Amino acid sequence: MNPYILTILLFAMGLGTTITFASSHWLLAWMGLEINTLAILPLMCQSHHPRAVEATIKYFLTQATAAAMLLFASITNAWITGQWNLEFMSYSLPTTLVTVALALKIGLAPLHAWMPEVLQGLDLTTGLILSTWQKLAPFYLLLQINPSNTSLLLILGLASTLVGGWGGLNQNQLRKILAYSSIAHLGWMILVLQFFPSLTLLTLLMYFVMTFSLFISFKVNNSTTINSLSMSWSKAPIISSMVPFILLSLGGLPPLSGFMPKWLILQELTKQSLAPLATLAALSALLSLYFYLRISYAMTLTMSPNILLNALPWRLPSNQHTLPLAITTSLTICLLPLTPAIITLLTL
Amino acid sequence: MMYMMYFLLFGLVLGLAAVASNPSPYFAALGLVVVAGIGCGVLIWHGGSFLSLILFLIYLGGMLVVFAYSAALAAEPYPEGWGSWPVLGLMLGYLLGVVSVGMLFSSSMYDESWMVCDEFGEFYFVRGDMEGVATLYSSGGFMLAMGVWVLLVTLFVVLELTRGMSRGTLRAV
Repeated sequence: MNPYILTILLFAMGLGTTITFASSHWLLAWMGLEINTLAILPLMCQSHHPRAVEATIKYFLTQATAAAMLLFASITNAWITGQWNLEFMSYSLPTTLVTVALALKIGLAPLHAWMPEVLQGLDLTTGLILSTWQKLAPFYLLLQINPSNTSLLLILGLASTLVGGWGGLNQNQLRKILAYSSIAHLGWMILVLQFFPSLTLLTLLMYFVMTFSLFISFKVNNSTTINSLSMSWSKAPIISSMVPFILLSLGGLPPLSGFMPKWLILQELTKQSLAPLATLAALSALLSLYFYLRISYAMTLTMSPNILLNALPWRLPSNQHTLPLAITTSLTICLLPLTPAIITLLTL
Repeated sequence: MMYMMYFLLFGLVLGLAAVASNPSPYFAALGLVVVAGIGCGVLIWHGGSFLSLILFLIYLGGMLVVFAYSAALAAEPYPEGWGSWPVLGLMLGYLLGVVSVGMLFSSSMYDESWMVCDEFGEFYFVRGDMEGVATLYSSGGFMLAMGVWVLLVTLFVVLELTRGMSRGTLRAV
């Protein structure tokens, strides 16, 4: 793409999120979300492949619907209460509608159906931007509103963890697996939103770090299926040895840092006397763990049968910028001992 | 006076059902023209005459005309309208749905009705909508600049999406 256009589009994406972060008026928040949706569209259909175009159209339609619902809810709130502030929504109808609209925006179950197909049509970098940056603005809005109904967020969260686990089980396309993993993690974030919002932020940031390392590891291997990952041990042995740790961190196993958000969320849910819900959420994490283990099995733990020539490729010096991958992989593996410090930082 | 409002709103629902039920863009856009016109009428009854005029000019006279030209480029030789039974059935189904939901939420036809009034909290020299537009250009100057920038980005996005004959995203015309 023309570098000037790319600059303008990336700037517009940053501007959209910044506008939403800086807003206390619903119209401004909606505007920031729309700018984000608009600016990512050409990035999504850069390859002009029919699947990419279809993914762009699906993304645009769902995000436009969600933004229209958000506008409807905020105008209804302005009609009833006469003010446009984000934090002071006190009636249940607009608040519920806003929650459902934002759930459609980020892809929570049962409004998740667009996510795997959209991610499947994109290349890994754009998929990464979609999974991480585009979730920031809606989550900011979700953190600001007073939830009207306790059970709505819990139902959305539990359904998302279950759907994210079960949906990813039969997939061998990596981008679809990443989509379902995203849905499951968003479910965990929403579960604790009304009890301890700092944990939502913590889960979001930890998810960003973990999924960034996974996306970039797959990009370095230039692989989008589990099959093509099976020869990565000969191409990039260090990355192949680190990816199981990233995957197990995503699955939430101690002593990796992915355990941190799940542990704290389970503790908070138990403190709110929601122990059966916490048990169900923990069991649903087992489902996701299965397909993370399957990827690590195919990539690292087994060597698939192949001719001898493919096991000895030339390891030429690579031009890829792997410093971000190195940083985020280290954070994904080693951040658990810093839990008290991180909690203190986020609870300020 | 309320009778006029009932007529307008009835036409609005009919036009919206037409937009939703027609598979061909010609008839759907025709329904949209009707809906936009009626919406302008409703807006006038609520006191926003200036805004209604602007809506008519820009929405109908600008965007729908451009849409009509682009729809004419993707010409359908046999557009399916209300003449065919599936489309008519869909339209009646939507109308039935709207009426049943309306009856669910309203108490009765005669107990309450929506009074048409020009709602404004305090006394003002000028009409609300014209004052609002003037405020956009004076104290809302930053938002205007933001709107201008976003429109420019929209232009770039659209041009990027339709770039080139077949290199672009949409079908090469």
